[in-house]
Amino acid sequence: MVTYIVRRFLYSIPVLFAASVLIFFSVTVAGDPLATLKQNPLASKQTIHNIEKRNHLNDPITTQYAYWLKEAVTNKFGSPLLQPGTKIWDDLKRVIPHTLQLVVLAEVLALLVGISIGVYSAIRQYSIFDYAATTFSFLGFAMPVFWLALMLQILFTNIFIKWHVRIFYTSGLSSQNPGGGIHFWIDRLQHLAIPAMTLMLLSIAQYSRFMRASMLEVVNSDYVRTARAKGLPERKVTLKHALRNALIPVVTVSALNFGALIGGAVITESIFQLDGMGPYFLGALFNQDAYVVMAWLMVTATAVVAFNLIADVLYGYIDPRIRYD
Amino acid sequence: MHRSHYRLVLGVLVAVTSLIVAGAAGGASKKSTSGSMTFGAEQEPPCLNGFTSGCNNTWTSWTAGIALASPLIVKPDFSIKPYMGTAKLVSKKPFTVLVTLNKKAKWSDGKQVSAEDLIFTWKTIVDPKFDISSRSGFDSIARAVKVNARAVKFIYSKPYAPYKVQWATSILPQHALEGLDFNTVWDSNYNNKAGQTMSSGPFKLQSYTKGQSLVMVRNSTFWGKKPTLDKITFLFRTNTDTEIQAIRGGEVDAIYPQPQLQLAQLRGQSGLRVQTHAGTTIEHIDINTGAGNSTPLLGQAWFRQAIAYSLDRSGMIKQLFSTLNPGLPTLNNLSYTTGQKGLYVPHFAKYQISNKAKRIAKVAAIMKAHNCTKGGDGIYTCGGEKASVRLGTTSGNKLRELAVEIMQAQAKDAGIEFRADSQPSRLFFPRIAGNKYDLALFAWVGSGDPAGQVDIYGCADQKTADNPQGIGGNNWKNYCNPTVTNALKASDAALDPKTRIKLVNKADAKLAADVPTIPLYQKPTYFVFKTSLKGLVDNPTLQGPTWNTEAWKAG
Repeated sequence: MVTYIVRRFLYSIPVLFAASVLIFFSVTVAGDPLATLKQNPLASKQTIHNIEKRNHLNDPITTQYAYWLKEAVTNKFGSPLLQPGTKIWDDLKRVIPHTLQLVVLAEVLALLVGISIGVYSAIRQYSIFDYAATTFSFLGFAMPVFWLALMLQILFTNIFIKWHVRIFYTSGLSSQNPGGGIHFWIDRLQHLAIPAMTLMLLSIAQYSRFMRASMLEVVNSDYVRTARAKGLPERKVTLKHALRNALIPVVTVSALNFGALIGGAVITESIFQLDGMGPYFLGALFNQDAYVVMAWLMVTATAVVAFNLIADVLYGYIDPRIRYD
Repeated sequence: MHRSHYRLVLGVLVAVTSLIVAGAAGGASKKSTSGSMTFGAEQEPPCLNGFTSGCNNTWTSWTAGIALASPLIVKPDFSIKPYMGTAKLVSKKPFTVLVTLNKKAKWSDGKQVSAEDLIFTWKTIVDPKFDISSRSGFDSIARAVKVNARAVKFIYSKPYAPYKVQWATSILPQHALEGLDFNTVWDSNYNNKAGQTMSSGPFKLQSYTKGQSLVMVRNSTFWGKKPTLDKITFLFRTNTDTEIQAIRGGEVDAIYPQPQLQLAQLRGQSGLRVQTHAGTTIEHIDINTGAGNSTPLLGQAWFRQAIAYSLDRSGMIKQLFSTLNPGLPTLNNLSYTTGQKGLYVPHFAKYQISNKAKRIAKVAAIMKAHNCTKGGDGIYTCGGEKASVRLGTTSGNKLRELAVEIMQAQAKDAGIEFRADSQPSRLFFPRIAGNKYDLALFAWVGSGDPAGQVDIYGCADQKTADNPQGIGGNNWKNYCNPTVTNALKASDAALDPKTRIKLVNKADAKLAADVPTIPLYQKPTYFVFKTSLKGLVDNPTLQGPTWNTEAWKAG
């Protein structure tokens, strides 16, 4: 297992290198990062010259890439183009945990609910519950995140206006003075609840469909029939024999989801004003800060690679028949 | 049900109840009766040193920037008045401005705001190694002479008429910043070398949590009227929908959003007040009169006039702002704004014909006079050139996209085709600067002072020793009229206000005849706040909504 992980880790180095080349060249050719500054009639020409020189913006693109790669590896992505006093890594260190809080909360709950719905739908195939779950999952797939987010915001705002009870906050990560310990975490939950609900809905729809399909395949397999023939209680057959084997596709999907969501649930985080990877990325795009965009893309690429590795390792845990060579 | 299931259900119930109780308590604590308020800031400052290009953002000066006072201040009526001091022209030859600071002006660490600070501010701004966003005016200062501990005479190398706007700039504390790299200081605080936060304004920075909030607390050493509020918390709410729900639901007490159609729902809500004014962001259409355009017709003044006549700008503004700001006026001057009484002359008003039939007839008369004929598609052709031009704007900006659609329809009625040519701003603006467009709808952010207009409308090829790039560095219209250039150049050097107004309006009248640009409207400002708050007054200039925080009171 360790050898396998080390080998996969080594494989990921050229993958990330290739990603860095793609990211750098595609972002660089997208436009002049100082275009907005240059349009300001009052902008100092000297300042524009200073920034171009400091960031090698007038060098050939390959030279620029070499400088950027060096900065990324030796100086943790360095500083934004226009803000030499800021460190990109400090900002990433700040926003990644916020995104993780949201993603873990939403995904764990979505997995619990989605798997439960999927399993029950498969066991009670063509029941009212199964039809209702299917309808719900299609609704979940079809519902635009930004619309759902806005509807939830309006709902909880109206509840506050009508009854003066703040169940959940509609934006931000924390209140002004959230207090410490348990008070802080209750306040944080009140802020994360609606965004988590928004993210969860789509994920529940996805996981429940995958789980249902996977369970249907497994419950009709020989080893499940054998387990029943042995006289095992139905609950044990379902949870121990069928569920465990049926989990593999869901593990794959959820690992990819986790990886992608680390890159930020861009829309959700931005609407709810959570200081995570999503707003950080949008802010960088808005400011045309190519270096921040590149750093963000590299972190996202790394997260996707890492979660793929985690998924592969989990396969072996869930299904002992899978061996790593 | 198994006992453990009961425990689970009980646990969930307890958790939900605690959330509601905690939430209800949280809601109560937000009421603005405690001497504090929360302000939903639509943008987060990229960093706090607003002098540098990377941090220069209106929200930097409207939030943390209130800690750094300036000698002069721009009032809501665009007048420039003394604040932490005065700036007076004491000699025309050489051009000399005496800047005097208020006797009581102190930094929050107890030190006097001094003559040395004035000189240090000037030297820092012109230091070529620093990424200063704008050196305008300061780069015209040749030397400074300290008059006393609070006053400095600045002697300019050439006359600089908008010196009052220049001295509405914050003053830096020399003792806190001297010897430091100005490009990297004050990124996330305003601390002196001892770690104390620096302020010469009514509030000082208490904390800045990136991505979340910035807290300003009362500065007890403030030299002016003592602030009433203890604390102003700026919460960053950069999504307009979220911002609106936040003020509806009492999560913030005030917002200053960009004009958006969603704001209409706030007008009718009890407990909220909406102030709106025509701001200093000038929405306009630039016309490329030469190389890079798609038809030589754009090089003809009569054709550009026909375009101007074909548009019902007032009708378009009504359609865009009928619910938000029904009284928003059409802008008819490129240098002065509608609120500047005595300065604003509506030279472009002649192009406004609201009656559709008359508008179409006016365009037809111009076209006929130039032997243009209407094709089967209703579009004119003049000398073999179809009256069909591209009209582009920054895609994604709903108001502008809507404006383009309305103007396309209006022009088509009059026999001129506008082909949509919008792109995201990162692609759109480089094209404009590269003269690769026909008609471009975008905005200039002004200060209310016409200084620097020559850079936008002056002949781009007039290179001088001190302007090696050419004075019309931002004239991307291929437009050149020596009368306009000379009048605007002279206005920048004119010291007599009346002469200056006359010169600017002379240039504007000529611009109205040549039509290299069509002014549309001043983007309105919206200041929404709880009626329980007192003293909040919108300032549509760049000074912004927080210009008088010392007068704010929680009801």
